[in-house]
Amino acid sequence: MSRRVPPAAVPLRLLLFATARTAVGVPRLDWPVPAEGRSADLLLADVVRQYPALRRILRGSRLFLNGEPLADPAARVGPGDELAVHPPYGGG
Amino acid sequence: MSTRLSARPLSIAAAHRALDGPGLGGVVVFVGRVRPDPTPAGPVVALVYEAHAAPARRALAELEREARRRFGVERTVAWHRVGRVAVGEAAVVVGAAAAHRRPAFQAARFLIDELKRRVPVWKERRARPGRRPRQRPSPRRGRSAG
Repeated sequence: MSRRVPPAAVPLRLLLFATARTAVGVPRLDWPVPAEGRSADLLLADVVRQYPALRRILRGSRLFLNGEPLADPAARVGPGDELAVHPPYGGG
Repeated sequence: MSTRLSARPLSIAAAHRALDGPGLGGVVVFVGRVRPDPTPAGPVVALVYEAHAAPARRALAELEREARRRFGVERTVAWHRVGRVAVGEAAVVVGAAAAHRRPAFQAARFLIDELKRRVPVWKERRARPGRRPRQRPSPRRGRSAG
């Protein structure tokens, strides 16, 4: 008799560019997030606990949620969202 | 109006063609090329650009719309390379065309200055094949281009 396996929770995808990627060591992380969501700043505090080098980078970075600028760092993010960390730009 | 985020070499001749048109007497094209700046690991041989593609394309398009609205230029280009760009190659090409030179100069200057400030693109220096110098967090340091 097969047991019913609960579906895997959908994580939030964290995109890390430039110095943020260097601080964490990978360009993206799938991060667990509760179904009801969590504020972006609290979620990033969780990430910093695991990757302390990211703390300094976040101070000078902009955040993008699903490709749009995230003006309020306390905004709620949830499963399936894509949160990008943009360190200062260096094009040209 | 032309924006581009490209892994292929940028053609300056193509930029001039995109800015061509009847009555456009003032055409300004700025090309930012990779310099062989010295580093502790040796001279820079290339820059590797990465972008957050969708927001970068949108930011380039917004810059063009703003340049046309603010300066009244008729045609613009805002192109940026991604991937590895060797010393001497163009990393960025911006340009503007108008009836007269003043708005063309102003718009081209606006495009390159604001591109550096607003478009999510980052670069990493390569001093020698297979070696990765430490990344600099500030856009004012470790430039080597533009």
